[in-house]
Amino acid sequence: MASSPPMSAARSASVGYRRHHAFRLVVLVILLAVLALLIVQPLGWIVFNSFHDDDTGRWTLRNYAQIFASTSLWAPLFNSLLLATAVAVISTLLGVPLAWLVARTDMPMRGFIRLFTMAAFVTPSFIGALGWILLAAPNSGWLNVGWRALSGADWPLLNIYSMTGTIFVCSIYTVPYTFTLVSSALEEMPVELEDAATTLGSGVLKTMFSVTIPLVMPAVLVGFILSFIQGMTLFGVPAFLLTPSGTLVVTTKLAEFYQLFPPALYMSAAYCMPLIAITGMLFYARRRILGRRQFTTVGGKGRAGRKIRLKGWRLVALVFALFVPVTAVVLPYVAIVLVSLSRAWGLGPVPSNLTLHWYRWAIFENAETQRAIVNSLVYAGIAASFCMVIGILVAYIVERKLLRGAGLLAALVTIPIIIPGIVLSVGFFSAYTRQPLNLYGTAMLIIAAFVATFLPIAYSQAGSILKGISPDLERAARSVGASEARTFASITAPLMRGGLVAGWLLVFIPIMRELSVAIFLVSPRTNVMTTLIYNYKDGGNYEAVCAASALLLFATLIVVLLARFVTEGAAYRRRNAASLGAAP
Amino acid sequence: MAAFSRRHVLMGGAAGLAASALRITPVSAADDELYAAAKKEGALNLYWGSYEQKTIEEIRDAFKAKYPGIEVSLLRQASQTIFTRLRLEIQNDAVQCDSIGTTNLLHYKDLQKIGAIQPFKPSNIDMVPEAFRGIDPENTYHVGAISLTTINQSTSVTAPPASWTALLDAPWANQITTGSPAFSGDVASWVVAIRKKYGDDFLRAFAKQKPKVGQSNVDTVTDILSGERKVGSAAPFSYSLTQQAAGNPIGVTVPSDDAILNLGLTAVPTKAPHPNAGKLFTDFLYSVEVSNILAKNFWPTLRTDVPWAEGRTLESIKWYRNPVDNLSAEVAEGIAKWKEIIG
Repeated sequence: MASSPPMSAARSASVGYRRHHAFRLVVLVILLAVLALLIVQPLGWIVFNSFHDDDTGRWTLRNYAQIFASTSLWAPLFNSLLLATAVAVISTLLGVPLAWLVARTDMPMRGFIRLFTMAAFVTPSFIGALGWILLAAPNSGWLNVGWRALSGADWPLLNIYSMTGTIFVCSIYTVPYTFTLVSSALEEMPVELEDAATTLGSGVLKTMFSVTIPLVMPAVLVGFILSFIQGMTLFGVPAFLLTPSGTLVVTTKLAEFYQLFPPALYMSAAYCMPLIAITGMLFYARRRILGRRQFTTVGGKGRAGRKIRLKGWRLVALVFALFVPVTAVVLPYVAIVLVSLSRAWGLGPVPSNLTLHWYRWAIFENAETQRAIVNSLVYAGIAASFCMVIGILVAYIVERKLLRGAGLLAALVTIPIIIPGIVLSVGFFSAYTRQPLNLYGTAMLIIAAFVATFLPIAYSQAGSILKGISPDLERAARSVGASEARTFASITAPLMRGGLVAGWLLVFIPIMRELSVAIFLVSPRTNVMTTLIYNYKDGGNYEAVCAASALLLFATLIVVLLARFVTEGAAYRRRNAASLGAAP
Repeated sequence: MAAFSRRHVLMGGAAGLAASALRITPVSAADDELYAAAKKEGALNLYWGSYEQKTIEEIRDAFKAKYPGIEVSLLRQASQTIFTRLRLEIQNDAVQCDSIGTTNLLHYKDLQKIGAIQPFKPSNIDMVPEAFRGIDPENTYHVGAISLTTINQSTSVTAPPASWTALLDAPWANQITTGSPAFSGDVASWVVAIRKKYGDDFLRAFAKQKPKVGQSNVDTVTDILSGERKVGSAAPFSYSLTQQAAGNPIGVTVPSDDAILNLGLTAVPTKAPHPNAGKLFTDFLYSVEVSNILAKNFWPTLRTDVPWAEGRTLESIKWYRNPVDNLSAEVAEGIAKWKEIIG
């Protein structure tokens, strides 16, 4: 949407026009260059690799032929689809009502539930799987032991080593995506629409399903897609929970490719291509569903300030809302913290077995852990910030259709997240270990990989916020002479702020717990917490694994609380301003 | 038990020191020259997958103490990850690694084939048990670690299975935990060995016992400590002993039909940026210091004159090592058979 050329030849207007266009051009060129480096180049290498033979290094179509021909390669894809779909459905069914309860109602313990849902987000899912093995392994799981003692039955109540168990664990650690996206959208929504429904006699639940949720549909769909992708790309949970039943999913199959001689890196690259197609279809479906419908919730008027009263339903709601915090955080962390405080975890939580040794060791004695904690926080902070900047720019261009082919741009920034980290890691390695861009061993390489991987989250979040902001506000600014940049900086950006902090956290946290994309990129100096934790797990040192995980959780939660503090402050000021302006 | 083991370690250490004092002149002269060259290079990048984080960190620290002036960086990741990374570095002509140490012989066969590792003879290789000297006639790779695969069991088991075949007896149905050969090199080499000894009939009978199959062989210890299963097959000897020493209720049984011995190996890449430092580290691996660290962490030592923890020696254990000639094909076949029979 270009501004129309000045009709009169007033000199200053023409200079302003040219300056405006020059600025726009510079921003676009820089953005496209960054995206080319960050995404096109590594992705290009992955595609290039997929057409090469692992044994000979020559061009071939054999990898693709093999995928089509071999049923043993189809089965993991099918299992992954099943897992991912189930995870997406369950996370949406749990996450959306949870977000509504926390953001819009007077349910008790909202702060606690918000914090603990974020804590579930912070937990690397393989740690969660570990906790659940302690809880629900068929013979030894504490819950099963308790069940047998109570019921006298000789069969286990729960079996975590199953597809159902895997879906359950993946889902509870994925709910936070939907929760964060939807709750931040709900917080921006005006209360009048719900009031209107209530006035017309609709009950609380009916209002929620017929007014509130449809209005935040963009956020719900993004949550669904991200959950689906999460279900597709998780490695730790299926590796722990599905290996005993011999069930393979895409990520565990990829791990097998990497165990071959020579490692089937090129085959793995080809094996990821169906995933890109599947995700492409999802995003296409999203566009079809959202279509040209309006989701503008942020107009010129005041926003949500009042909570919906649940009355007698408060306790029922609380029981529902506690499900994720209890199953994803409280129960597994009881197990994890007990192990981290043990001299030898096999002895159980008896007084003589308790020690703070592993914490002392991780914080004060071991230089590797100290460096890794600092690295993780710094890299995740920088990468999340870059992600948001790029994500907002791309979303702005796409949503306001500033560029022909903007849809292509949107597709491009979305691809990396669906490619399992281990394959992406090889792509980054290929792209950045040769001249002129040899970044091997540097922090920059890891940060770049994190930015590329998690850009889709930043972009999606920015896009769903922008969908909620009426372009009328921007048009008003433009019509009184503000440039595009100025409009963005002084109108759009401030309106997005609350959602942006949520978006930053949505990127920061997955980076903190990301393991596989860093795997071929870290150097001894740039090691991060998750690679270190995985090493301790590899060496079977579970006491150290659990202590380091508890520290990782603690460090991330501090950042979450700080960010929350910043948004709450902003929201408070805004609400005050709004209520002053819109006071009846 | 602990005091007993400590005394043995100390005795072993003292014996080792005395022994090395006798041979000190030639070793030290060669080392001095290498040290001077390594010091000139100034740095050493270790890529190691053999030994868990704690042990390899102790070895690194001992090296730093003995050879000041060389900046040592240690990248400790799983063996296959380390190998894949070095291969990527070679492919992109960006080799950073000066010393690679992994648990899989096939890595070195592959690297040797593409001329990626350089021949040299460590000055003190004669201290290594004879069976593991000169394992590569071209001297491009050398022993880096000795890893034993045995049976482990919960201390609640009073009469553990004494052999691999005893695992097939009725009492162990639904009680066995094991790793997967598709994920763990040690388990893969156990499958190759067991098929050589007993054929696929063993795997079929083993499948009837309904073992729980985890990923790594370390998972056997987890299952035993949590009480999920009672007996571990293809279990890690050294790691189980470490857990026992930490006070965990677990024990180790060396099967009468042989512990399966898997050699970890080490090499210096042809394009290593600090080749002399890499070679100096290989020499250091066969020093008394390192063998003492290994004994303390329940690993088999790399020197004949330093006994293992609790007074064990290589001679005191009945072990079997897979022949190397056709190993690559046998591993692939073993994994395929495992999947077909066990799942």
